[in-house]
Amino acid sequence: MAQKYDAIIIGGGHNGLIAAGYLARAGKRVLVLERRYLVGGASVTEEIYPGFKYTVFSYVVSLLRPEIVRDLQLAKHGLTVLPLESTLTPMLDGNYLYRDGDHFCTMRNIARFSQRDADAYDDYSRSMYFMAKAVKYMLGIIPPDPTTYNPRDLLGLVDMARHFLDLDEEKLFMLAKLMTMSAADFLDQWFESEPLKGTLSASGIIGTYLGPRSPGTAYVLLHHYMGEIDGAFRAWGFAKGGTGGIANAIARSAQSFGAEIRCNAPVSQVIVKNGRATGVALENGDEFYADVVASSLDPKLTFLELVDPAQLPSDLVDSIRRFNIRGSSGKVNLALDALPDIACLPGRLPRAGRHLAGAISISPSIDYLERAYDDAKYGAFSQRPFVDMIIPSVIDPDMAPPGKHVMSCFVQYAPYELREDTWDAKREAFGDAVIDTLAQYIPNLKEIILHRQVLTPLDIERTIGISQGNIFHGELSLSQLFFLRPAAGYAKYRTPIHNYYQCGSGTHPGGGIMGASGKLAALEILKDF
Amino acid sequence: MSTNYDAIIVGAGHNGLVSAAMLAKGGYRVLVLEQRDVLGGAAASEETIPGYCFNTGADDAALFVDEIAEELFLKMHSLEFRESQAAVFAPQPDGSAITLWQDEARTAHELESLNKEDAARYPAFARQVNQIGRVLQEMLLRTPPDVTERKVGELLSWAKVGLQVRRLGNKGMMEFVRLLPMAIHEYLEEWFQSEPLKGVLAAPAITGTRQGPRSAGTTLMMLYQSSNGFNRTRFVVGGIGRLSQALAAAARSNGAEIRTSSPVARILLQDGQATSVRLVDGEELGARAIISSADPRRTFFDLVGPTNLEPRFMRSVRNIIFRGSTAKVNLALSRLPTFNGQQSVEQLSGHIRISPSLEYLERAYDDAKYGRISRQPFLDVVIPTLTDAALAPHGHHVMSIRMQYAPYGLRERDWDAQREPLGDLVVDTLSQYAPDLKQFIVHRQVLTPLDWEREYGLTEGSIFHGQMGLDQLLVMRPVAGWSQYRTPLRNLFLCGAGTHPGGGVTGAPGYNAAREVGRALNGA
Repeated sequence: MAQKYDAIIIGGGHNGLIAAGYLARAGKRVLVLERRYLVGGASVTEEIYPGFKYTVFSYVVSLLRPEIVRDLQLAKHGLTVLPLESTLTPMLDGNYLYRDGDHFCTMRNIARFSQRDADAYDDYSRSMYFMAKAVKYMLGIIPPDPTTYNPRDLLGLVDMARHFLDLDEEKLFMLAKLMTMSAADFLDQWFESEPLKGTLSASGIIGTYLGPRSPGTAYVLLHHYMGEIDGAFRAWGFAKGGTGGIANAIARSAQSFGAEIRCNAPVSQVIVKNGRATGVALENGDEFYADVVASSLDPKLTFLELVDPAQLPSDLVDSIRRFNIRGSSGKVNLALDALPDIACLPGRLPRAGRHLAGAISISPSIDYLERAYDDAKYGAFSQRPFVDMIIPSVIDPDMAPPGKHVMSCFVQYAPYELREDTWDAKREAFGDAVIDTLAQYIPNLKEIILHRQVLTPLDIERTIGISQGNIFHGELSLSQLFFLRPAAGYAKYRTPIHNYYQCGSGTHPGGGIMGASGKLAALEILKDF
Repeated sequence: MSTNYDAIIVGAGHNGLVSAAMLAKGGYRVLVLEQRDVLGGAAASEETIPGYCFNTGADDAALFVDEIAEELFLKMHSLEFRESQAAVFAPQPDGSAITLWQDEARTAHELESLNKEDAARYPAFARQVNQIGRVLQEMLLRTPPDVTERKVGELLSWAKVGLQVRRLGNKGMMEFVRLLPMAIHEYLEEWFQSEPLKGVLAAPAITGTRQGPRSAGTTLMMLYQSSNGFNRTRFVVGGIGRLSQALAAAARSNGAEIRTSSPVARILLQDGQATSVRLVDGEELGARAIISSADPRRTFFDLVGPTNLEPRFMRSVRNIIFRGSTAKVNLALSRLPTFNGQQSVEQLSGHIRISPSLEYLERAYDDAKYGRISRQPFLDVVIPTLTDAALAPHGHHVMSIRMQYAPYGLRERDWDAQREPLGDLVVDTLSQYAPDLKQFIVHRQVLTPLDWEREYGLTEGSIFHGQMGLDQLLVMRPVAGWSQYRTPLRNLFLCGAGTHPGGGVTGAPGYNAAREVGRALNGA
């Protein structure tokens, strides 16, 4: 007979670990079960090629809620976020757009394309800051259910209505536009120069299976701004040691509060008796028991795999089956013999090559991104993809041997379902398309590659388990947000099975290394204890 | 200058006429000024060639709100609707065809040969569309609430809508919220498997917009187009222009004055108030209220003048997305062509849609995204002579083809050079489905988005006076903060499709505006 815990968390991704941390901090005996040999889920750092540490899946951080950093004392447990100060958008004609923390430098750069845009940029940045601040409220609340007459829900709705109606008129309407417009249309209202619109709109498509002209992408744009409100403007950063550094810090924190973490422990099933979750069974047959079981996996796995769907109401099963979780992105990680040379901005560290310490975004225009999406719509990976890359070893020298470098390239679009052929057959062709694209901007790239790792959505699904490789555990579309995430009536982290909870990115607010889902779920679980 | 009028309405499109008729009925002295020599704006029937009467703009009057027709006794003014049992006939590239009838059981039966599961689900789909359509219909005749003021009276009026939503039940309510922002592509994928069926059902969702079936919010458009009944197809005997004429007759019978060929050059202000209009010929006419049925960009930039308004307001007007994407080809035919897969003439009496799959529509949209005419366009064809044979000489027919996408802003060449190639493209495309079409063509009229703009005054040729996307509806229409038919200028009102609820021959914007103007004239 195995020992009994207060709570078992399925999945050791950042949300699972954060939920574990909060529960352990409240004095609960917690066990985290992770399928892989290491914790982190999509936020892991692995030495795939000897001496080179790849931040394999997710690679930047900004959305992580500051209260979580505080509550779980993550700094004490080793979390160090190094600033990622700039974004370079190279163009094929040799021109480039460079934006960094130096406001005037950014303005000068934008003015090279359009003085009007440079003037508008200030106003735009300020507006997005306020918008993000207005929406931030949502990150801290449990979505109220608008269909019930339960006083708590009604109060929640009234409070929410009051929050938004208290915004001044202009902001309220801008928010309405952000929720409904396409990133392209939204940006068209502010700017005229293509590289600026292109590179800004890229934030609206990351992780989605939508193009910049698809309505709804303006919200994703805002979603990506939300991390910036608590720190300096454009406070994207790189965690020391890669995103694995974040997961490790959270894990250490949870352990310091007494949580137990087991790796190599794939859960096959949640044990349900008389409509109550009582524990979990591992693939090897081991069983663990607990008062509460919480799944940090995506909604499809949580409801259709870990439990028998026959035990669930049919409306929930239908909703989860049609829950939109199309994977659309891939990753290419490179070990490099030397620093890459960007054609439009030659120069090396330390002074002239400052741009190498920031993000480099292949997003020269909205049309470019839209065409990349067109390929994906019809079931092919983009021939000329959107690529967002960083060179972690420039920021954190521990990531690669001296003089050598690692490069992390996030690539879109790579649709999970290819119309012709399989991902196993197309993986290297996809890698080639990415490298060929990058080589147009980085002439020495092909010569300096020592090793490359290509990750397709299928690989993401196989390695870390997320259905269809969707990095947000489900599209961030209006139909799947707030009280509709993951399904109407089931947005409060609970499930129809007693003592079985959900705490992954597929719940409100979802998406990115934000941790809000894990935290809010843990607080709900604690209410029920 | 005479100020004999209570209200002057700029433009005699159907919304302008509804406003005129309603105000006249309320006892106000009304003058309508129309730039063209025909009434109806984009709801007009015109004898472009002697003997053939064309619906130059809209064809279908299914959306026209019945309450308005009843309140204005339009039947007495010889308005006669005729419903067509066949809703949509959709010929396919492989020579087959599907027909959707107003009668759902009949349709389901017919779909069985296409896909048994789809046929079985069809009635439930129709039920959902009708249910939500009823909720939307409840919104049509209401002034959008002022979200910043929170007036109790206004909210009460919308409580009825809330009640309708509640009536959908808990699940239905959440489903309603979930569906509205969805892409039609996603919505139909949830229901059906058959590509031809999904293709033909998606068509109303993209009508009049430059969005593809994968664009969020297109489901709402499909539901809007079904708000008076799923697959309801209703024409006007004598052509849609008769509806406008009936409205005009109703207005006149209550004392309204309507002048055609009287283009307004300017709306004139005095101390920040709209007081009168100046016609192109110089005549000035004054009224207590000036109501523009022109679209907001035309109203504020051309008729009022940008310097008379705050820059912030003008920026929102400038930012309205118009993006006309629709062209029209009218054909005079010496005989009725035969379509592939057609079994009876009755099948052709509703809409004929060339929209064989979601992907077909999406690819047509792709071209428009980059400023090109769709190489394989979506076509919506109506043959009005099958409803009313009198519209053409004996045995002859008129055919009205709405085509998408024809983007107003072409990246290469201009519309004057593209007009005839566009006509050829449309005829060639349709000939693939009706091989004998070309030999019967007696005459052809091509209307591009540029023509809509020049001749009908529609900015960028947008048939809805501004795209009907989620971001431009309800309190956001025409611009945020000004959704109640009023404008920043006292005594200037809007009553066109650029206001809530939007485009289509509903009459609702004109009706709502008349109510608001009436209130203002009474000092409320």
